[in-house]
Amino acid sequence: MDLSTLGGQFLGTIPLGDIVLYLTTFNLFMFGAALVFTAIIAMSRTESQVEAEFGTLNEREKKVSKDEFKIRRFLSIVCGLATAGAMITGDLFNFTLFVCLIGIVNIGIVAAVKEVDVLDSAFQYGIIAMIATLPLFGGAASILATTGTISLLELVNIPTSAFMLFSSILLFIGVAGESGVAPFFATKAEMFRTAGSPFLVIIHLSSLLVIVRIIEILLIINKPFGI
Amino acid sequence: MNLMADILLNVTVAFFVGSILLGLQRKVMARIQMRPGPPIIQHMLHTLKFFIKETVFPRTAAMPFYVAITIILCAIWVAAVIIGPVTHGPLLLLFAIFAIHKIVEHNAGSSSGSPYGKLSCVRAVFSAAAELPLFAVLIIVFIQTGTMDLNGIIAYQAEHGALLFTLPLTAMIFIVLIISKSYYYSPLNITLARDIVSGFETEHFGTLRGFIMISEAIAWYMLLWIFLTVFLGALTPIEYLIAMVILTAIVGLINAVTPILNPNHSVMTEVTLAFIGIVGSLLMIFFL
Repeated sequence: MDLSTLGGQFLGTIPLGDIVLYLTTFNLFMFGAALVFTAIIAMSRTESQVEAEFGTLNEREKKVSKDEFKIRRFLSIVCGLATAGAMITGDLFNFTLFVCLIGIVNIGIVAAVKEVDVLDSAFQYGIIAMIATLPLFGGAASILATTGTISLLELVNIPTSAFMLFSSILLFIGVAGESGVAPFFATKAEMFRTAGSPFLVIIHLSSLLVIVRIIEILLIINKPFGI
Repeated sequence: MNLMADILLNVTVAFFVGSILLGLQRKVMARIQMRPGPPIIQHMLHTLKFFIKETVFPRTAAMPFYVAITIILCAIWVAAVIIGPVTHGPLLLLFAIFAIHKIVEHNAGSSSGSPYGKLSCVRAVFSAAAELPLFAVLIIVFIQTGTMDLNGIIAYQAEHGALLFTLPLTAMIFIVLIISKSYYYSPLNITLARDIVSGFETEHFGTLRGFIMISEAIAWYMLLWIFLTVFLGALTPIEYLIAMVILTAIVGLINAVTPILNPNHSVMTEVTLAFIGIVGSLLMIFFL
């Protein structure tokens, strides 16, 4: 199989030590999107939530304090850069590391808020993310053990075996847990109720972009009908 | 044709056709409900009207994020037109645009500080499970055709016949997706449900709303274009137009006669239909 079959025109590689980055139209677009969002987040203020008080004519305004703002902005930038890295890395192990980092900073972004429901949701998501590291790294390690490489540029030329298919399933479960998508999304949705819109976007952005990327990776590892 | 002229032409066509189709959808719904309904150019008139209205910014908004998000929304759909009708690029990239659209939808809502926008934002996250059909379509089409390149998919269909007949359940999943992303009173589109006013669009006014409406028109055109190209292959412009009108009328009919589901029911309906479609399609590929 050719990488251009999946991601469009192959634009070349960036050999950066063991992190061999490769660029197709798809990877470049996703990388660019992650960086654009990160740049906008870095320069944005947060919104304030205005809610009517029950039983009176008053209203309540929820704002993000300066200290909370600083730490959340920092973690959002880290998350954005990790997402961008996950989009163009050509190394499966680096991909799993980036995904793991995304999981950690996602919890950090909402950990500073003082709303019980949001913290409870972050705690539950944290447990799932921690459990998911086992299949995540286990999947990548199994692929290394089966094929002798974790370079996607090499894996694309290696015929798929049954154990590679099993490893891919482990990898997918790991990514689904780390990024908190279906069926784990229910634990994560409550995290978005808090104020701090620019920071929350990166939680959602990282999850969906990582899921789109893992589909490309799974199709690179498993070549249906020997394509 | 010059590439820039080609892009300009296709984006303009996508906007005008998408606007007319959204107007047609409202007209169909109105006639079913025994109302005269707005003229079919209403969506386009609204879009143009918003560009000459005063743009106001809520005191609570997250600036400049609140403004940038509408421009990003417009930019990704212009990019979709370039990847789709102009260059026939990879399908994976078009689906990445759908994923980014979901994120933009989410944050257009929450960046304003409005509780309605916030609820729409939480629902956008909750309905991320509904993106499952999107990825299922992608993978099943790849398994069947061996490529994600739109030119390759079109060539496959020229040789083996339309995928609509080979993968009818996958086409069904995509139809569910189209219904879930339709704008007016969709039973499945929980982010724009009327119980939260206009969802993520509630607090965007003037020019910003104009950008959102341009994006809506292009997004609707692109959604139908992808369905027709992936499941019927290369069509002439007239065939595309006729098929788009038929699909929009069907969606209008469904939206007019079905209640708007609550978030849990909407997500579970989409996931259940996706599951049936995925298992059925895989069984058809491997055993028929």
